[in-house]
Amino acid sequence: MLAPSLVFVALLGAFPVLSQFVLSFTHYNMKFADERGFAGLDNFARLATDATFLQDFWQTVYFTVISVGFELAFGLAAALALNRIGRGRATVSTSVVLPWALPTVVAATMWSLILNDRMGLLNSVLVRLGAIDTPVVWLGPGLAMGSIILADVWKTTPFVAIILLGGLKSIPDQYYEAAALDGAGRWHLFRFVTMPLLRPFIAIALLFRTMDAFRIFDIIWVLTGGATKTETLSIYIYRVLFRYSDLGYGSAMTVALFLIVFLMSLGLLKIMKVTREPLQ
Amino acid sequence: MKKLIATVTAVAVLSICVLAGCSTGGDGVIRIVFAAGQDPSGATAALIEEYNASHPGVEITFQVMPANTDTQHDAYVTYLSAREPSIDLYSLDVIWTAEFSRAGWIRPIPDGLFDESEFLSGPLESVKYEGTAYAVPWFTDAGVLYYRSDLLKDAGLDVPETWSEFTQVCRSVAEPAGITGFIWQGAKYEGLVCNFLESLWSRGGDISAETLRDSPERAVRDVESTIDFMLQLIETGISPASVLTYKEEESRRLFTEGQALFLRNWPYVWSIAEDEKSSVAGAVGIAPLPHAEDTRSYSTIGGWNIAVSTYSRHPKEAFEFLVFITGEHSLRLRAIEGGYLPTRKSTYEDPDILAVNPHYGGFFDVFQNTRNRPRTPHYPIASDVIQENVHRALTGEFDSHAAAENIVTEMAALLSR
Repeated sequence: MLAPSLVFVALLGAFPVLSQFVLSFTHYNMKFADERGFAGLDNFARLATDATFLQDFWQTVYFTVISVGFELAFGLAAALALNRIGRGRATVSTSVVLPWALPTVVAATMWSLILNDRMGLLNSVLVRLGAIDTPVVWLGPGLAMGSIILADVWKTTPFVAIILLGGLKSIPDQYYEAAALDGAGRWHLFRFVTMPLLRPFIAIALLFRTMDAFRIFDIIWVLTGGATKTETLSIYIYRVLFRYSDLGYGSAMTVALFLIVFLMSLGLLKIMKVTREPLQ
Repeated sequence: MKKLIATVTAVAVLSICVLAGCSTGGDGVIRIVFAAGQDPSGATAALIEEYNASHPGVEITFQVMPANTDTQHDAYVTYLSAREPSIDLYSLDVIWTAEFSRAGWIRPIPDGLFDESEFLSGPLESVKYEGTAYAVPWFTDAGVLYYRSDLLKDAGLDVPETWSEFTQVCRSVAEPAGITGFIWQGAKYEGLVCNFLESLWSRGGDISAETLRDSPERAVRDVESTIDFMLQLIETGISPASVLTYKEEESRRLFTEGQALFLRNWPYVWSIAEDEKSSVAGAVGIAPLPHAEDTRSYSTIGGWNIAVSTYSRHPKEAFEFLVFITGEHSLRLRAIEGGYLPTRKSTYEDPDILAVNPHYGGFFDVFQNTRNRPRTPHYPIASDVIQENVHRALTGEFDSHAAAENIVTEMAALLSR
């Protein structure tokens, strides 16, 4: 019974990835199919000198580091708080998860209405509170990336919170009781019991979020379309692959993105030392 | 498991059917599929029904595509590059003609199929690539200036014709009234290209292949001064900084809520502005966009054409339907029921159409000054070059001279390719 599933995996997984690799060594634009041909390393050479690719790469890194950082911090705080709730946890947990359950495009459209400078909720609240006099252009130059990060943190913090809450639940109460008997205070309990045991869960959350954040597309597409220094690699790749129908160069970019995410994930796993070390 | 096998078989049979193009049923009826964006008025569906009733051997199906233009473009590119035979006719945005005909995806229009002289010149130009027509104009669109007729009347002013009069009126009327002077579409998307080109053309500049080849310095100067002018609109407060995040609907909403004196937008705004829910109903006028002292007004042309796919198995029947759906009768019905601006000149004198759409007279004046965006198979790249550089210059990331030089160099390379 193994054979059918192997064929399935090969068709669904390996074939598209391999054909992407093959395409990245060709000149192939769907609109100019008559000019199709072998390109060698041309596409990769072009990539190395593509200023837009480089700029978008750094913008993607910036988005990933900041948004994942906030998501981990808020997610951890939320998980700790949820873990302490006794009664009614199900209700609270459900409401916390809600943003994550929304389809991203719906959430992003909602944020674009909230952030609208003239008719948006955020500005009208801030004006009424007296915090600002004139409406702030949240999606304009300077602030756009921050607004996008805000929307993403709102949307995906629950994901981190739920994973970490699962981790907290898996820590046996005896460990805390034993440490408390030895005279550990709340900080020491957190630092020397909770954190070490939670680390594999943090690693998983970090890994998933980093990979996801690095491929961010939908929120930015809806909020700015990539304007004012918010274009990420995925949006650039979309432009080249679909708008320009340039399969050759677009595939080379996809291969590069694949390698970047792959290496990054390996690095993260190494840093987080998610190995089977015995408990100390 | 049995159910699964049945489903898989059904899907397989269906896909084979699609691959093989089951366009003729066993009954000998020829099935033609026409792909286009949604028509909420139902006029297109009614016309197709009418056509089917009078043509027993043919059955036209209306395949509704996503409303978003870019999504439609990407879907069509995917179908056509895979030589998809199941769609016979496509409705194409005016900026796609060069791209699709260069790719060999759409058929040249046979000689004598339609009388060119009956169509408006802008839409007619848009269906041609290297002198050959590859589509027939269907409905049109052009940039229009909307103004608050009540406020101008109170101030005893006429609609400004030149840009300097225009900025003066913004200062003397909008500022005291506490509203915004001029709203346009400045977000980084296709609409910015239209707004930018109108501004450039109305100052006597252009970025045609000839100008870019013969006098690139002049082109740089004109593009730079256009960007500077757009920047000034924002710096002097005539347009708010947020205009750089607005597309059609954001800008339209501000105007119909009474928060702006002037709006540059497409004709669709008219019926919303005149709707009873609008705060400016009865107080809106339309005019050609302003221009520099020694030139004239220009509007970017939008709208849609219809072409027959190279991979259609029934081109004869498809062309026959094309004649019907772009004919006077069809354009009339769509104008009356759906407010789609017709591409045939005669329809602008039709009393029935004018009775429903009295503002068409004003639009007809605007349509005398329409111009097409650069017509090149590389249009998506060309558009991004303009969007990117103009938007970065307007948000202060590039200075206007550098942006102008980028546009001229990159456009020259694209248009000569």
